[in-house]
Amino acid sequence: MSGVLDYTHVTKNYRSLWSRRRVRALDNFSLSLERGEIFGFLGPNGAGKTTAIHLAMGFMRPSSGAGQMLGKPFGDPRTRARVGFLAENVALYHRPAAKLLRFYGTLSRMQPNDVGRRCREVLEQVELESEADRNVAKLSRGMQQRIGLAQALISDPELLILDEPTSALDPVARAAMRELLLESNRAGKTIFLSSHLLSEVEMICHRVAILVKGRLMTLGRTDDLLVSRDRYEIVARGVTAGSFEPLAQFTVAANSSQVPLSNSAPVPQARVLSRDANPFDRLRASSGQALGQDGRVQFIVAAQSQRDALEKIWALGGEVLSVNPVRRTLEQVFLELTNNAGAGR
Amino acid sequence: MMAIVLMATNFLRQRRWPVILLFVWILVTAWLAKGFSGRPDAGDVVFHVQQQSIYICIFSAFLAADALHTERKSRRILLLLAKAVSRADYLLAVIVGTAGLAAAYAFFSALCSLWLSARAALPSGGIWGLLPLVVAGAMLSASVAVFLSTFLNPYFATACTLALFCAPIPFHVQHRAWSLWLPGFPLLVQFLRFSFRPEWAPSWIAVIASLVESVLFWLLASAIFARRDVAVPVE
Repeated sequence: MSGVLDYTHVTKNYRSLWSRRRVRALDNFSLSLERGEIFGFLGPNGAGKTTAIHLAMGFMRPSSGAGQMLGKPFGDPRTRARVGFLAENVALYHRPAAKLLRFYGTLSRMQPNDVGRRCREVLEQVELESEADRNVAKLSRGMQQRIGLAQALISDPELLILDEPTSALDPVARAAMRELLLESNRAGKTIFLSSHLLSEVEMICHRVAILVKGRLMTLGRTDDLLVSRDRYEIVARGVTAGSFEPLAQFTVAANSSQVPLSNSAPVPQARVLSRDANPFDRLRASSGQALGQDGRVQFIVAAQSQRDALEKIWALGGEVLSVNPVRRTLEQVFLELTNNAGAGR
Repeated sequence: MMAIVLMATNFLRQRRWPVILLFVWILVTAWLAKGFSGRPDAGDVVFHVQQQSIYICIFSAFLAADALHTERKSRRILLLLAKAVSRADYLLAVIVGTAGLAAAYAFFSALCSLWLSARAALPSGGIWGLLPLVVAGAMLSASVAVFLSTFLNPYFATACTLALFCAPIPFHVQHRAWSLWLPGFPLLVQFLRFSFRPEWAPSWIAVIASLVESVLFWLLASAIFARRDVAVPVE
C-alpha cells in the first residue's frame, strides 16, 4: 500500500432496479499508485475505468473490497480537499469562470485570500485568463474542459484524478494540457490519468494499467510494457538472398496489433536494410521495404527461436550486428491485450 | 458552514426563474384578493394569507424534491461531491436553500397581506406571527421531500410529501388528538385557523416540533443518500 490511491480486491456490480440483470463493472480489482508518478489508466469503453475512479471519489460504494485515498477510506470528505478531480464530459454551473472557480475553491476549504490568488493562477495555467468574466455556458467545449481542469487544480491538490481530460481538446490545447500535467508532476503531484489517447499516455505516464471487462490485464512501467519479451529484432550483415528461405521459419509478424501474439503463426518478416546487388524481389514484395546502405537485414524472430536464428545466420556466414527486444507502441500493446481478452470470452 | 451557505445560494441561483415567477404570483393573487372595488373583503384577505402559507410549503416540496434528480441527471453533483463536502452537507444546503427561498417568499407575501389588511381595515399583527410558522413548514416539507427523493422519483417524492401532510386531515376531522403528532399537520391546522382577531397566536410548540422533525428527516435522508451511487444514471 502506497497511501496515495489503493484499491484492494474491489468488485463493483451494477444492478437495475427493475430487472435482475447484473453487470460486473470491476472484478477483484487491486491497484496501488506510487507517490509522485503519472499513472495511465487504460481500457476500452465499458472496461470499468470510470467506475474505478468514481469509487475512489466516493460517488459509489464497492460491492466488495475496499480502498484508500491519501491514507483514508474512499469517500472521506476531508481527504477530497487534497484531491483534484476532473470528470469525463465535465458539467459545470453556468456562471462566470472566475466566480465558478472561487465557488469550487471555497468548497475545497481554501482560505478566501488564497482562493482569489489561485483562481488567477489556474486561469493563467489553462490559458483562459481573458475569459475570467465570461459565463462558462458561452465557452466552447474545449474551453469548458480547461475550466474543468482549472477547478481540479484550484486547491493545489496532492493527487489529481483526471477522467479523459483531453477528450474535447484540439491538438494545440492537448499539447498544452500535456505540458501542464508534466509541470504539475514536477511540482510533486501524483496524477491518475484515464485516457483513450494512447500516444499521450505513452509520452507522459511512468506506469500504465490496462483494464478489460473490469479486470486488470496488465500493470507495469510504460517502458517495460513497450518492450516485447516475446519477439526480438536481429540485425545481421552478409546474409545473402538465398539464405532467407531457411531463416523464414524463425521470423514472426512485426505488427502485433493486427495479429494477436498468442495466435500468431510464424509469418516471414525480414526487412532488407540495403540495396544489395542481390535480387531481393520476393522479400521486397512481402515487406515492401528496402532501405539502408551497407547490406544490413533486420529479422523479427520469436523469443524461443532467437538462438536457432542466430546460429543459422552464423552458419550461413552472416554477421550479427545487434539483438534487441522489439519495441512496440502502446497502441499495439493495448490492441494485443484487448484482442486476447475478446478471444478469451 | 460556509460551504453549506454557498451551495444553498447556488441552489437558489440555479432556480432563479421559477423563484421570480413565484413573486409575480404573489402580486397577482394579492391583486385578485383586493377585488375590483379596491376595498377587499376581510374573508378574502384571510383566505389569501392562508392560501399563500400553504402554497409556500407546496412550492418548497416541489423545489426540494427535484434537486437531487436534476443535479444527478446533469452530472453537476459530481464536481460538488468531489470537493470537501459530505453528502449530509449537500442535502442540508438544499433544505437551507429552500427554506431561504420560503423565508423571502413569506416576507414578500406578508408585505402584500399587510397592504391588503390595511385596505380592509384589519389589524395586521398576526401576519408577523405567522411568518415563523410558514418558514418552519417550508423547511419541514423540504426536508421530507429531500428524504423521499433519496429513493423515489421526484414526482413520487413530491406527491408523497403532500400526501404525508394531508393524510391526517380525516382523523383530525374525527377529533383524533394524535393526528396533531404527525409531521407538519399542527402547522397546517395553524394556517387554517389563522385570523386577524387578536386571540389568534402562533403555536411555538408547533414551530419547534417542525424544526426537530426537519432535522430528523435530514438525518434519515443523509443516512440513505450516503449509500446511494450518485454517479449512475437516474432511473
